[in-house]
Amino acid sequence: MPLPPPPPTIEQAAARLAGLLTYAGGTLSDPERHDLVFETDLSLQPLVRLPAPIDTWAVDGGQAVVADARCLQLVVTRASRARWREGRCVLEEEGDLRPQLVGCGEERTAVLTYGMPVRPDAAVDIGLLRDWGEWQAVARSVEEADAGAMVLIDGDLEPDWRLPPSFLDALFARATARRVTLAGVTKHSSLARGGAPLLGQLERRAEEALGPRAMWWARLATTRPDSGPNRQILAARLDPDARFSFRVDIPAGDDAPHILGSLSALADDAAFPGYPYPLSVADRLAACPGWVRDDVWAQLEDGLDVAGVPFDVRERAFTDRHRLMERA
Amino acid sequence: MTSGGEVRGRLFGKNVLEATFRAAPDEDLFLGELLVGVDDATGRRYLFRVVDVTYGTEHREPGWAERVAGTMLADDGRDDAGAHPLYEQSRRTYRVATCSCLGYLTPPGPDGVRTEFRKPKSLPTQFSRVLAPEPEDFAFLASRMGDLPVGMLRSGESVVDFRVSIPGAALSSHVGIFATTGMGKSNLMRVLAAGVMRANGRYGLLIIDPHGEYRGALARHPWAGERLRTYAARSLPNTTALRISLAELGIDDLRTAYEWSRPQEEALFELERHYGVEGLGWLAAFARLDDLPGFRDVELNGRIALSTLQVVHRRARRIVELQCVAMDPNVSVGGSVLSDLLGGKVVLIDVSGLGSTEEVLVASYLTRRVLEEWQSAYLDRPEQHERMPVVAVVLEEAQRVLGASKDRESNVFPRVAREGRKFNVGICAITQQPKLLDDELLSQFNTFFILGLADEKDRNILRASAKQDISAVGKEIQTLMPGECLIAGLAAPFAMPAKVDLYDDLVRATPPPPAPRPTAAPNIAALVD
Repeated sequence: MPLPPPPPTIEQAAARLAGLLTYAGGTLSDPERHDLVFETDLSLQPLVRLPAPIDTWAVDGGQAVVADARCLQLVVTRASRARWREGRCVLEEEGDLRPQLVGCGEERTAVLTYGMPVRPDAAVDIGLLRDWGEWQAVARSVEEADAGAMVLIDGDLEPDWRLPPSFLDALFARATARRVTLAGVTKHSSLARGGAPLLGQLERRAEEALGPRAMWWARLATTRPDSGPNRQILAARLDPDARFSFRVDIPAGDDAPHILGSLSALADDAAFPGYPYPLSVADRLAACPGWVRDDVWAQLEDGLDVAGVPFDVRERAFTDRHRLMERA
Repeated sequence: MTSGGEVRGRLFGKNVLEATFRAAPDEDLFLGELLVGVDDATGRRYLFRVVDVTYGTEHREPGWAERVAGTMLADDGRDDAGAHPLYEQSRRTYRVATCSCLGYLTPPGPDGVRTEFRKPKSLPTQFSRVLAPEPEDFAFLASRMGDLPVGMLRSGESVVDFRVSIPGAALSSHVGIFATTGMGKSNLMRVLAAGVMRANGRYGLLIIDPHGEYRGALARHPWAGERLRTYAARSLPNTTALRISLAELGIDDLRTAYEWSRPQEEALFELERHYGVEGLGWLAAFARLDDLPGFRDVELNGRIALSTLQVVHRRARRIVELQCVAMDPNVSVGGSVLSDLLGGKVVLIDVSGLGSTEEVLVASYLTRRVLEEWQSAYLDRPEQHERMPVVAVVLEEAQRVLGASKDRESNVFPRVAREGRKFNVGICAITQQPKLLDDELLSQFNTFFILGLADEKDRNILRASAKQDISAVGKEIQTLMPGECLIAGLAAPFAMPAKVDLYDDLVRATPPPPAPRPTAAPNIAALVD
């Protein structure tokens, strides 16, 4: 039996990384997804900014682990929405915090409570809880949006794998019927070519080909027909001063240059040119910072007090041993 | 007192003596602005003074604001300003004001009216509203204001409808007026002089005016006819000739006015002994000497070096040649000046035209006369002293006589600074460079008028000597505009920001003094009966 290769040194790892990052060839892939059919030729197109949608909704989700007994956790999730019209936010909805016990089968109640269209035996975790909340918020937004509106989702247009494709089918159909455009914007994409981040490569190529201040877009892939409704996967630089380009997912039949041109009109905020501002509002609303966690923890303790749970029982359950060991 | 009014911000941090509050990004906050923190839980109203204002942002990423500015700057560079707006700036950015807590007003008592001002000793409830003050918030100050008007209470760049004044009695505990050129020292001095003129004889002011800048202005005051007396060292209309007898001057006056070396001082005493005349009367004879070497050898037995004698001789000639110096011991305005001051007048000594040293000579003499008169009354005629007005000697460029290097033994001004208070004699020192004043003397000054001072050393020395904590208002002092001042004294519980009245406006608004009461002609027949 041949000997296994020796573990790499830092220098060797750096040399390998350098090779991957600077190699301009290789196949296109998404290590996180296997339902994409990539374009054979990635053609960069100049992007023209168009008027912003008359009505824009942005949806993002947040989550936090409040108490962690490893086998049992109390988690909170929420889905937030922002509505943007005529250059200002007309709705900022943080969304209710949804507490849920996860572990030892306690999470099963969420399937019924929140009406999750998942298989009865599907695993339920914080990721699914958050994702389902977000897609519910997207569905609500589609219903409340004006005709001609755009609903933006933080991330790709792909719900958690446990949610059935039929859910997205129905959502797309409803959006089409209401003349609402759906678009998912991914801040940090896992798309790759030859092991290197694809969008970074495209940005460099675009800078050389179109100039440093060009807005551009490229069609990267479409989804396989058997993985739910068809979507097209795009990359776009949405502002001449954008530091980064983003992956943008839209339904397959939609007019990509038109949608991206409209989206770019929302991406001119001075704080982060190139990222649609309504999404950054939704992101802020959805965040579950430390104080939110602390607040829920305090409420939890009140409840445990009322229930007469001794302090040492709580301590044994929820004390973070790792942290204690680090302090020792 | 209501708790309504426009909300300027919400309190969020700091400690008992300081407060920070958040305000909208377009809230126009000024250094020195006075605001009120309304503690609804306790009913107290905390009085704040803004000492700094900075930017705040909801975004916590390092460099967020710099990045936004950079994006906008790049747009400017491309002549494309506005290409990248900052959406919802009013929500994403804000201002943070740092305030010093001046104290708080207790809630109204059972009578529903009276509130009391107390020094801060507790924290207002967090997130209390910060409002613009109401007139009632300053009502407590009314009882602490004096009878010499200064101007209006200032809040940042606004003027509050509240008169600021100092007690005239504060003149005896010395007043300092500190400012760089053009900040309004002279106007302030005129305003104070106007107050003295209208004080019905309770106070007297002896103003030594080296630049002739007060004569015209003070003479325009409607009460000047009765309450102003002007003496001038040169022929000027509507003034009394300033004449000082040599015999009344003393060696200490000379030592105050001129820089003397030790041998030169010895020479002065030797000459005084030789001539044996009162005061400096001997200067006239000495100045007339033609044969200085012969005089030295014969009369002084060579006890003084010729070069030393020549210096004294040169200065003696200059002094006796002064128009305001009289050889005749009976010709002097000293008594008249004292009489005017005793009558509660503003006495203006216009010494424009004199050199700086001669001006100090005159000031030294007159100040010494005033101090001696008030001191002797205090010691020997206490009942009379009680009726005598409080007087102050106003000195321009006061660092010349109150500097650290000045000989305190012979110099009358440090003596007044140290001892004058108990005799009701004060100094009103005007200077652009308080850092040149002696620390210990400055600590004797109980009232500071601080106008704009650019030099940090100047501000530091005032900070150390002021009778109120002005350590937090350094930036405000730096940014004072002409006519704006801070008054640090014992009367008010904090350094009062004020906008000094414009003297010309004051003159226009001042009614003439009331006509004297008509007196009935004596009834001779009745007397005969």
